[in-house]
Amino acid sequence: MALLEVKDLRVNYEVYEGVLKVLNGVSLTLEKGEKVGIIGESACGKTTTVKSVMRLLASNSIMAGGEVRYGGEDVLKMPKRKLSDLRRKKMSMVFQDPSAALNPVFTIKQQLYDIIKFSTDDHLSRGETHERAITYLKQAALPEPDRILESYPFQLSGGMKQRVNIAMALVSANELLIADEPGTSLDVTIEDQIMRLLKKIVDEKGISVILITHALGTVKNFVDRIYVMYAGTIVEEGPTKEVFNNPQHPYTQMLIKAVPKLTGGGVPEGILGQVPSYLKPPPGCRFVTRCPYRMDVCDSVPRMFPAGAGQRAACFLFDEGHRPK
Amino acid sequence: MSDPILTGEGLKKYFPTRNGVIKAVDDVKFQMEKGEVLGVVGESGSGKTTLGNMIMGIYPPTSGTITFKGQPLPSRAKERPIQLRRDIQMVFQNPASSLNPRRSVRQALEVPLGISRDSRSMAERVDRLLETVELPIEYADRYPEELGGGEKQLVAIARALATDPSLVVLDEPTSALDVSIQAKIINVLMRLKTRLSLSYVFITHNLSLMRNVSDRVMIMYLGKVREVATTEEFFRNPMHPYTRMLLSSIPVITEAEEAVKPQRTQSVGEIAGALNLPPGCSFNPRCSHVMDVCKEVDPPLIEVAPRHWCDCHLYPDEYKATQSV
Repeated sequence: MALLEVKDLRVNYEVYEGVLKVLNGVSLTLEKGEKVGIIGESACGKTTTVKSVMRLLASNSIMAGGEVRYGGEDVLKMPKRKLSDLRRKKMSMVFQDPSAALNPVFTIKQQLYDIIKFSTDDHLSRGETHERAITYLKQAALPEPDRILESYPFQLSGGMKQRVNIAMALVSANELLIADEPGTSLDVTIEDQIMRLLKKIVDEKGISVILITHALGTVKNFVDRIYVMYAGTIVEEGPTKEVFNNPQHPYTQMLIKAVPKLTGGGVPEGILGQVPSYLKPPPGCRFVTRCPYRMDVCDSVPRMFPAGAGQRAACFLFDEGHRPK
Repeated sequence: MSDPILTGEGLKKYFPTRNGVIKAVDDVKFQMEKGEVLGVVGESGSGKTTLGNMIMGIYPPTSGTITFKGQPLPSRAKERPIQLRRDIQMVFQNPASSLNPRRSVRQALEVPLGISRDSRSMAERVDRLLETVELPIEYADRYPEELGGGEKQLVAIARALATDPSLVVLDEPTSALDVSIQAKIINVLMRLKTRLSLSYVFITHNLSLMRNVSDRVMIMYLGKVREVATTEEFFRNPMHPYTRMLLSSIPVITEAEEAVKPQRTQSVGEIAGALNLPPGCSFNPRCSHVMDVCKEVDPPLIEVAPRHWCDCHLYPDEYKATQSV
């Protein structure tokens, strides 16, 4: 049985202008010990998807359908107590902005101790708590853990703050770690260090990972499988190598082409047009407004069709009946 | 052959703070040919934006001079004759904050258009300007909130071009945009450069992008220029240990790109705080080739290979040796 199964998830947001229909039938699975990536541009629903998994969505969100199964149980219908157990002992999340994820008025010690006490049913003595805190900080490759514990967030650099966040996430992430753009707000040399550290930790502990990013290169050496999202839908899914070397969905193809390459050769044209508004998304395929292969059938929602070598793509180009010559 | 449009000599910008002096730009020297794209690359705190702001006269250098078209540039924009201010323009990183939300595109463009005389009507000139940046002329009466991020940046570019400049400082012009939109903006910028014979100072943290757009790359680290070379030479033969670390940290998506990266230099350590720079070369605590001299003497920027400057104690002797042969 898969560790995590998201089925046909639909999430809307209520705003002043009306209802934003954001997630439009997102399905994904994650096996035990597997690492998957969700890639896509800003506001494509990556974060909404993983926040639904942890039930952390904002109060103006509306669950319009679908289910999230963790170890067979529906997270969305779970009683609070059980959900809390899940967050205490099974899964945790590393957020994008390391400064915003830490409370500025408490020392790292106060924050980390709290999480450690929250994550266990045993009563820990002060010494034991301290010992555990040091262990987690060391796992996150923080030098001088004792000094870090006494520090306030503002006394640490961005890279160190993110390491502290990783240490805090490790306390509860015994089975699943969700990393939402963990390196995006850091400098490139520091991001590289953080990503290598994360990979080493999850590989050693056999933790399953969902890694979200808009920087395609960062997922390439990290995850086994990739989901590509566009405007609240998953447009392509497949093994990392295949998706990068042989993308199938028109959006994935154009996206990968648009990334400036270190080998040079100029910058291609990119993708013309804009992401559709979530207030009034196209009724069928949501990429239809920017797609060069547009057909009449694209006004209905495509399911995932097998495409390429081991991939699946939500595009009628891969449906026998509609394939153009 | 050499026809420099912009040069800087001994350029320094120090910011006094309560806790000490921040050397944002420290003794920077550069030269830029007419029609060239000079890529200024660095991580946060490297002084790249400070350099751009000094070229614009937003604040004056602590010491040193900037020469524009052979004439010394007055250090404050206020002291510059209007013709000079017209000739140097800037595009900022975030178009959402550099455009006034309460002014239509037309109003935003009319201000800079108003300072130069032209026999055509204002409406006509706004239309031509929008066409120049490849925006539909109907956009003239829209407000920023009605435009996508990429379109907003095109308006900001149009505003910079309104005064018919010959030098444009681009400060991370695509960093706030998605990669599919970035490609479009870059292409417009490159077409404009050829058509209007512009020169660009292109400030960015994205080396992959620089590979594709710049003629020359200048790497900054903690206020110092660490390496300068033509783009070809730079990527074929990166010399400074920091440059190599930076290059090997870049997340890339194709195998061909992996081959370009220097593999042996793994990113370690943190970027030093601007208030307590290490003595000697500021990169020495992170450098894998660190020698005793690096901790005492800051190496000067010297030509280590033809048209390739680098400040590192590793090199001078080797190049001299090859030169004498």
